[in-house]
Amino acid sequence: MLNLKLPRRSVVVGLGGLVAAPMFGVSRANAAGSIVAAAFPGSWEDSYRTVIGPVLKSAGTELVLAPALAQDQIARLRASQARGKPAFDAMMVSPGQTATAIENGLIEKIDPSKLKNWSKLLPGARTEWGPNVTIEITGFAYNPRLVPKPRTYRELFENPVYQGKVGWSGFGSNTATIAWVEIAKAFGGSEDDLSPAFRILADSLKKGAVITSNNQQQMALYQQNEIAVFISTVGNVANLRGRGVQCDFAHPTTGSPALPVALHLVKGSTNPNAVYQYMDAAISADVQRQFSMPPTEVLPTNTDVPLTASLKTFITEADMRNLIYPNWAKINPNRAAWSAEFDRVVKK
Amino acid sequence: MTRGGIPFLAPMLALSVAGFLVPLVVLAAFSFSDPAGGFGVANYAKLFADPLALPVLFDTLALGFKVVVTTTLVGLPIAVLFWYAGPRERSLIVFLTLLPMLVSNVVRTFAWIVILGRQGPVSQTLAGLGFISAPRSFLFNETSIVVVLTQIELPLLLLPVLAILSRTDRSYVSAAETLGAGPWRILATVVLPLAAPGILAGWVLVFASATTSYVTHAAIGGARFIYLPQYIYREVAVLFQWPAAATVAFVLLATTGIIMAAMALLSRHPRLAAHG
Repeated sequence: MLNLKLPRRSVVVGLGGLVAAPMFGVSRANAAGSIVAAAFPGSWEDSYRTVIGPVLKSAGTELVLAPALAQDQIARLRASQARGKPAFDAMMVSPGQTATAIENGLIEKIDPSKLKNWSKLLPGARTEWGPNVTIEITGFAYNPRLVPKPRTYRELFENPVYQGKVGWSGFGSNTATIAWVEIAKAFGGSEDDLSPAFRILADSLKKGAVITSNNQQQMALYQQNEIAVFISTVGNVANLRGRGVQCDFAHPTTGSPALPVALHLVKGSTNPNAVYQYMDAAISADVQRQFSMPPTEVLPTNTDVPLTASLKTFITEADMRNLIYPNWAKINPNRAAWSAEFDRVVKK
Repeated sequence: MTRGGIPFLAPMLALSVAGFLVPLVVLAAFSFSDPAGGFGVANYAKLFADPLALPVLFDTLALGFKVVVTTTLVGLPIAVLFWYAGPRERSLIVFLTLLPMLVSNVVRTFAWIVILGRQGPVSQTLAGLGFISAPRSFLFNETSIVVVLTQIELPLLLLPVLAILSRTDRSYVSAAETLGAGPWRILATVVLPLAAPGILAGWVLVFASATTSYVTHAAIGGARFIYLPQYIYREVAVLFQWPAAATVAFVLLATTGIIMAAMALLSRHPRLAAHG
């Protein structure tokens, strides 16, 4: 039988060493050949981990993904930059947050010569702050067994068939934010005046509208048939379908808001070369081809990757011509006030 | 070398200072700073002038009290069962109390979404028995938040109570029986007072946990039930107003701290601090 003599002094010293070790250890950003990249939670994080992770690993770089919505990424980076140590090496955000990141000095312009696949990108996908890896198309995710195909934002509020079956969320996500802007426009408002949207929201609360904290919660509720319609992206609908959940996508007749998704090099990254490897992998034809297939099904920006037959069921050439690109210069300054107003309106 | 004393507490004190007190001081400093770089109580004045802030604060504290009451109503019968149980049954009760804690709070919360949802067993059973005309969702109201938090926080109340009861000398009960006390009188005047320190400790833990359980508030209540944790999240992650977020966090800390201190002081009452 093992006769282990452990004096108390040794135990205390050992435990103290165990606790103190992380204080002297290397930070996650300094580990050889590794980067921390922020990615949208859910299907984005899953697909980047399973597809891009191995690509980088074969090149000697470990990819650590930190799930965070775009606004969360800005918040975390601003907090960590104050300590001189960014929380991520790479960001994944939409134009609204790109503007905020540039304004706050959080990201760096890239050197396109370090990206082998740069010239393969659509011209509009090449920006001096980083490549666009896809364009998220937003619209209505709906259950065809429970509700008819929605066509307009107005319909979701005015048609009794949708009463109590639509999930809404606040201004924490870009998808919801641009939806509220479109709703305001549908009821006589604009990017400068969202008051019609808040009025119709207040009215809909009396009719049983479901207000959730975020889009992920909406997807969970949708799967439980708690809601039958919510604002979402082609990618999320494809993800639900990939999990065997019946879900269709409908484009608003007023035009589908589009959100290019870009990767950025964070200022102060300790491993910028690995970030370029990561970006190059994300815009490569092989990776984009995989992402264009189920279950992710996002639009490719690499010109060598054609639209799949399945993607063509979500979006046609006519839909592509009807895309709306929100004016983030007008949206960003108002977002904080809108978020506060949303909470005031919905609070019970 | 003498045993005990400050040298033995030094590592824990150092960790507490570095990991708790220093961040707390930084948080406090943030709450008293303004965007222009000055120092003052402007953030607190702005918070209390916001018509949303005080209702959110009161709702949060009220939620904490409600969960304390419901966990007590559910937990005390289990504690009484434990008291009268034999050794094997006691082990089983402790095991069943600990079992939910092996599952993350987040997973338990999402399980409740299924249970309380339109297609969940509660709705289906009530519809099948004719109590409701059609399946309906029991989510997105405060009652469901309280129910879910009761299940999640119950072990925090039970464990201190069971720990106290397991050390309680049964001779007190025998003495009371000898003196003619019936079972209910023994329960009210002997067992519960002896368990009171554990109950108060449980109340402190349940209150602190229930008022700060962001995931449960958000997932079960949706965005219409706003409590201080969601308020803080909005200030940090959506509005980037960190001094305001620090202010709200400090107000939450102070109010829950005062309530917890009051409960702790109550537990020192001579009639309640019985164990020796």
